[in-house]
Amino acid sequence: MSLASAGDALLAQRSADGDAVAFEVLVRRHGPFLRAYAIRLTGSAADADDAVQEALITAWNQLHTLEDPSRVRSWLVSVVSRKATDQIRSRRASDELDDERAEDPGLGPEHRTESSSRLDALSAVLAHLPEGQRQCWVLKEVGGFSYEEIGERLGMSVVTVRGKLARARATVVKDMEAWR
Amino acid sequence: MTMDAGSAGIGETGFTLDDLSDYLDRGRTPAIAAIDNSPECQAMLASMERMGSLTRDLVAQDQREHPMLEEGWLGGLLESISREVRAGRDIPLTAPDPRASLSVTEGAIRELIRSAGDSVDGVLVGSCTLEGDVDVVGGLVTVDLAISVVLQTPVLELAEQVRQRVYTRLLAHTELSIGTIDVTVSDVHIVTRPAADGDAS
Repeated sequence: MSLASAGDALLAQRSADGDAVAFEVLVRRHGPFLRAYAIRLTGSAADADDAVQEALITAWNQLHTLEDPSRVRSWLVSVVSRKATDQIRSRRASDELDDERAEDPGLGPEHRTESSSRLDALSAVLAHLPEGQRQCWVLKEVGGFSYEEIGERLGMSVVTVRGKLARARATVVKDMEAWR
Repeated sequence: MTMDAGSAGIGETGFTLDDLSDYLDRGRTPAIAAIDNSPECQAMLASMERMGSLTRDLVAQDQREHPMLEEGWLGGLLESISREVRAGRDIPLTAPDPRASLSVTEGAIRELIRSAGDSVDGVLVGSCTLEGDVDVVGGLVTVDLAISVVLQTPVLELAEQVRQRVYTRLLAHTELSIGTIDVTVSDVHIVTRPAADGDAS
């Protein structure tokens, strides 16, 4: 009987008991999503790979604290969010030129609407959002976190998170108008 | 600001984009009639929601485009976790020489129990715990394990087979005196065919 046919809850229980093979099945199953999410959050594949790796090592050590093993996927998302935002904060501390990242001169709005699909267009719009706005957006819409949680993770006040989200929404809705 | 709603707000409601964004994230409660009755506000809320769901689609597409993890990266991860094995308690064994002490880790016993249970066709062991005097040679212990079984197999028979195999295996490889072995069927699973799509690999 192969572990690949097992449900998340069973794999999480076995992993919590120290079964590295079960953990590997969980990682193969959810890793690609976690990585995609972390790339959108950090804006960098290298940072995402580091954050996901660190998160999974932490998860391995803390799995026995997870009360409901059937919720392992969303728990992993929260651990990855934590590591990815830690990385964002430490990068911010060492990178005073943060704002310049936001003003990427690359593609203009005209080019965006020429993108081959709605998802490509959204990808370009998100890539052009100022970093803080994009992070708030991804944590909210993909991570499903509350303003309070986002504020805590990014070291911002709830008021700041609210403002950044609203601005991100305004930009995304406007720039994506052609794709409605 | 890219979208100036002016002092009259969106749809002349007096509500700004920030307000609508907030309202959406509060799950539109408590309901605000002025927003709920304004076509402009409703259109804006619908757009905001659509963009949220499109963002989730985007991440799902990213995932589909990279469905496999890079093996080198995965190998590094697995190596790291193998260095942090949670061995659990030490379970003593009788040493042939009284000056020596021998023990086996709880983690190794669990591994033994899992492999005994998994050897029953149609069964996968979930959690397993050892209770009782594990830290005494020959101590009386209780084994508690949860199993998942394949649908449409006689459940009681499978559970009994698991119990017997775990008992035999523990008897052969440890000095524990086994009190009871409680087997709980906590889940059922469906066998995936190797050819099936998805992540079964």
